[in-house]
Amino acid sequence: MNPLDNKENSAGEFSYSGLGDIVFMKAEKFIDTVLNWSRGWSLWPVTFGTSCCAIEMMTFGATKVDADRMGVLFVGDSPRQSDLILVSGTITKKMARRLLNVYEQMPSPKYVIAVGACNISGGLYHDSYNTIAGIDRIMPVDVYIPGCPPRPEQFQDAVRVLRKLIQQNEIKRYAKQSS
Amino acid sequence: MPSKVVDALKDSFKDNVTVLSDNGVEDVIVLSDKKLLKEAAKLIKKIHDIVFLITVVDRNPTFEIGYVFSNYVDKSILNLRVNIMQDDLSIDSITSVFPSADWEEREAYDMFGIKFNGHPSLKRILLPEDWPGHPLRKDFKVTDDVRNWTGLDLKF
Ligand code: SF4
Repeated sequence: MNPLDNKENSAGEFSYSGLGDIVFMKAEKFIDTVLNWSRGWSLWPVTFGTSCCAIEMMTFGATKVDADRMGVLFVGDSPRQSDLILVSGTITKKMARRLLNVYEQMPSPKYVIAVGACNISGGLYHDSYNTIAGIDRIMPVDVYIPGCPPRPEQFQDAVRVLRKLIQQNEIKRYAKQSS
Repeated sequence: MPSKVVDALKDSFKDNVTVLSDNGVEDVIVLSDKKLLKEAAKLIKKIHDIVFLITVVDRNPTFEIGYVFSNYVDKSILNLRVNIMQDDLSIDSITSVFPSADWEEREAYDMFGIKFNGHPSLKRILLPEDWPGHPLRKDFKVTDDVRNWTGLDLKF
């Protein structure tokens, strides 16, 4: 389901489908919903910038677009206290191991945003001997940001989409872990 | 103004060097026998301090290795070329004479598979160490195997 044309929740994008019928839920789903509601508001990112897209990612954290007000605090830069990884930049084959190493250190409810054409399909380097043609070959990806490089506003939009997916319990990978 | 280093090389190696350009600023010489390289490097070391870069050109079936030497005193550079054959891709390392050749030789090994005898640690520098093939050779093709290689043991 594309969250952007979700007509059922017509109260606008700042409503949470889960909260409306909280009374009739199973306890397990209730816990998930409440947890996911809170997770969506504090996505601390690991900033995995390797090339040009990283410059736009820095702008995303800077004053004009200001990721902080969306709960995306560029403070930790340690994978062990983060729950979102922003993979921005070309991932070479040598870097793939390091990327997975960082990803595996993150504690479990973790979300991935693939930034730029390079991370979607390889982009300019899709036919090269030394790039991973799309990081979804090596790790699960929740939100893709198209562009070469994408504008900082698109990062903002991606975080909004990701938050919505989380709060609507659309990301199933961690559903079992709360039971 | 003919350069001192070219004269010195001509004196000691006689027919084994061919001088393509000798203007004291940008000298180009070709060394015909690759066994003489280390000796030549020791001679060049008396005038030039560093090796700027090492280039390799794949002119199937020969590989042309170019050494660019320079010094800190004037701006002159010396371009030394050596041709090696494809069936014997090995040459003496000059790292013991010019320490700055270390990573350059590793890169040449990485991209073209040229073995530098006597190099202290000849392993890949840009690509992962278990990567198959040498990508800048003319006979290297980007096949699906190369494209999909990740070097990871993925479970999903
Ligand atoms: S998508 Fe474009 S801007 Fe982003 S890392 Fe790749 S080449 Fe650079």
